[in-house]
Amino acid sequence: MSLVLDHLTKRFGTVLALDGISFEVAPGEVFGFLGGNGAGKTTTMRIVLDILKADSGTVTWAGTPTSDVPHHTWGYLPEERGLYPRMEVLEQLVFFADLQHVPRRDAAARARHWLERFQIPEYEKRRAEELSKGNQQKIQFIAAVIHEPPVLLMDEPFVGLDPVNVALLKEAFLEMRDRGTTIVFSTHQMEMVEELCESVVLIDKGHVVLGGPIREVRRSTGRQVIRLAVEGDTEMPWLASVPGVRVIRPGQDYVELDVDRETDPETVLRAALDRGARVTQFLIADPSIEEIFIEKVGRRPTEEQHLVGAASGRSGPGAGTGTGASAGTGATS
Amino acid sequence: MTLDRGNVIAVARREYLARGRTRTFRLTTIVLVIAGLGIVLAPLILRAVFGEGKQTRIEVSIEASSQGVAVIPTLSAVLNAPLIPTTGTGSSGGTTSPPTYDVVGVTDEAAARARVVAGDTGGLLVVSRPTGGADLSFEFITKQTATDRVPQLVRQAAAAISIQDRLNRAGVPPAQQGTLFAPPTYSIAAADPNAPPALDPSQQAGGFAAGFVLAIVLFMAIVLYGQWIAYSVVEEKSSRVMEVILGAASPFELLFGKVIGVGALALTQYFVVFVPAVLALVFQPQIAALVLGGSADPVSLPAGLSVPLLLAFGLFFVFGFALYAVLYAGAAALVSRTEDINQIVAPMTLVSTAGYLVAVYSSTGLIDASSRFVVIMSYVPFFSPYLMLSRLGAGRAGPLEAIVAIVILAVTVPVALWVAARFYAAGVLMYGQRPSLRLMVRVLRGG
Repeated sequence: MSLVLDHLTKRFGTVLALDGISFEVAPGEVFGFLGGNGAGKTTTMRIVLDILKADSGTVTWAGTPTSDVPHHTWGYLPEERGLYPRMEVLEQLVFFADLQHVPRRDAAARARHWLERFQIPEYEKRRAEELSKGNQQKIQFIAAVIHEPPVLLMDEPFVGLDPVNVALLKEAFLEMRDRGTTIVFSTHQMEMVEELCESVVLIDKGHVVLGGPIREVRRSTGRQVIRLAVEGDTEMPWLASVPGVRVIRPGQDYVELDVDRETDPETVLRAALDRGARVTQFLIADPSIEEIFIEKVGRRPTEEQHLVGAASGRSGPGAGTGTGASAGTGATS
Repeated sequence: MTLDRGNVIAVARREYLARGRTRTFRLTTIVLVIAGLGIVLAPLILRAVFGEGKQTRIEVSIEASSQGVAVIPTLSAVLNAPLIPTTGTGSSGGTTSPPTYDVVGVTDEAAARARVVAGDTGGLLVVSRPTGGADLSFEFITKQTATDRVPQLVRQAAAAISIQDRLNRAGVPPAQQGTLFAPPTYSIAAADPNAPPALDPSQQAGGFAAGFVLAIVLFMAIVLYGQWIAYSVVEEKSSRVMEVILGAASPFELLFGKVIGVGALALTQYFVVFVPAVLALVFQPQIAALVLGGSADPVSLPAGLSVPLLLAFGLFFVFGFALYAVLYAGAAALVSRTEDINQIVAPMTLVSTAGYLVAVYSSTGLIDASSRFVVIMSYVPFFSPYLMLSRLGAGRAGPLEAIVAIVILAVTVPVALWVAARFYAAGVLMYGQRPSLRLMVRVLRGG
């Protein structure tokens, strides 16, 4: 009963959007689907939903190719929100449920239940265009879950919501997980990933960069992070002289340091104590998903080459001249 | 491709309700109902408002010197002669309505003049014989001008009366005068004896009018509702709701549902507009009797409208609409902003207008309806709804020709559906690209 993506490739004209994406989502799991803008997340989701066809590769759910999986298996919250602007909220939800083969009477009851739950029952008769963006988003969320699908695919479900609504949505999220719903969602809010996801996959420029259970991913980088706070010293310039240590986030409350696996974190603590500082916080942790994201996606000298190489097709040698980096590894043959 | 009927119905239903509930739709429907009734009842309304058709009194003052000639019967006959002469064997028993002009003799000329000035009568004809003069002299006192219809007719009557008078004086008895003016035997022979017999002019005019009106109705339906579909497609794209729906329904189901939904709404509007109009047309005599008083004619279909013609219209309407509607939808899927709709649907609108114009021109005789060009075009799917209908209405095409054209049209619809579905499937997730011919070709090739 798992969702398996196997070597998906998709080319739009001359741009290679997906270049062999493979990963597996275990049933009942909350799965973080991460990647920068334009990494290929939306394309991947559309292929899973059978809205787009992959050039090659397969997607299966419980062993069945997705083209044969009934569409009400999926609940989809697209990146670009879309409601009929001039249609009343309840009517709209009943229509979406109708498309997913929910009997019309049940649909109205379920829609009302969800509106109640999201604290907007009074909007039942309002037209979508009259609603605030956040409320439209809640309606959109209901539209995606109203038929109680076994798999939810959500593109940025939390973006643009105030903290109260984020909490409401998160609660709904967890409740659905407890009911056994498999949830795949993308987000740029990394703390959300660490809070909700059991596994993640990070893609960049159509490739899977890393993936797996979140704990393993965090441990896999070969680095550790130290959080250090010292009384009366927020700058701590002396840290630069400690070998194998790099300040990754200076701050008022504490400083975050990146430490090589070979370096013993205690050298930092000892260095601080040697200077006679009063240490108020010392924490050793694996790097956060956000740090991993930045590391993996943020600096990639071959990024542009990849695009240029793909865009110019077989024009070959000219492709790599844009940056000083070594030969274009991104271009596919 | 499996077609989920539930989805098609859901999409059609939404389309029907969402659009049917808009204020624009209700307003246009009301306006169209009023316009339809207005057109049908226009003669009646004109009569009621302007008193046209009420009896106009024409007074005749005959001086003693000119007695002995049948002035009043002759004038009455000329004034009340039908506009289009009823020919053939038709004894036209339906002339129960009172004559339009009431011709009355008077003696008080001065009072009669005053009545003309007051507008109580349409005119006063003074017949006199000048002293010493042999011929009668006529003076028509009226507010109308010399070129108006009544003065013209009076002049015609005066000529006839004058001839009668001259014959009387020449000693020809009135009984012989009748034979003198009897029309000779005269007939028109067709140039080609094998050609279908020419139609009765009034019947032909009715047929032309029927074909003409039906072509207009069809044209309006295709362009108006085609635009609706195009709008609805682009609205779904621009509001990005398309992607949500595509998670649940295939592009083909969406396209199909849309065309059915809008088509059903179009039919609804047509029924709402046409049923009162046709009823008013059929019961016009009764309504006239009610409003104006007088007896009513028996109920019959208006001239030129026959059951087979209406049946053909129904089929051409359904298939012609379907053909254009799917293409409008497919084309609209290629653009993402409502501003671009007109540009992308222009080819279809152009083709549609061309067919419509040729139909109208050939109905009104500007283009020969039996020319090879028109005949060939009347089989081409995009034009046949207009042209075959107008040819059929004019009696220039037989039922077999109509059936062939309908079959060709019906076969074209699935082909158009296939093309449109490809455009649709490729276009619905395409944003911001300018639709080019190359793009369309690529889409059709399955790119």
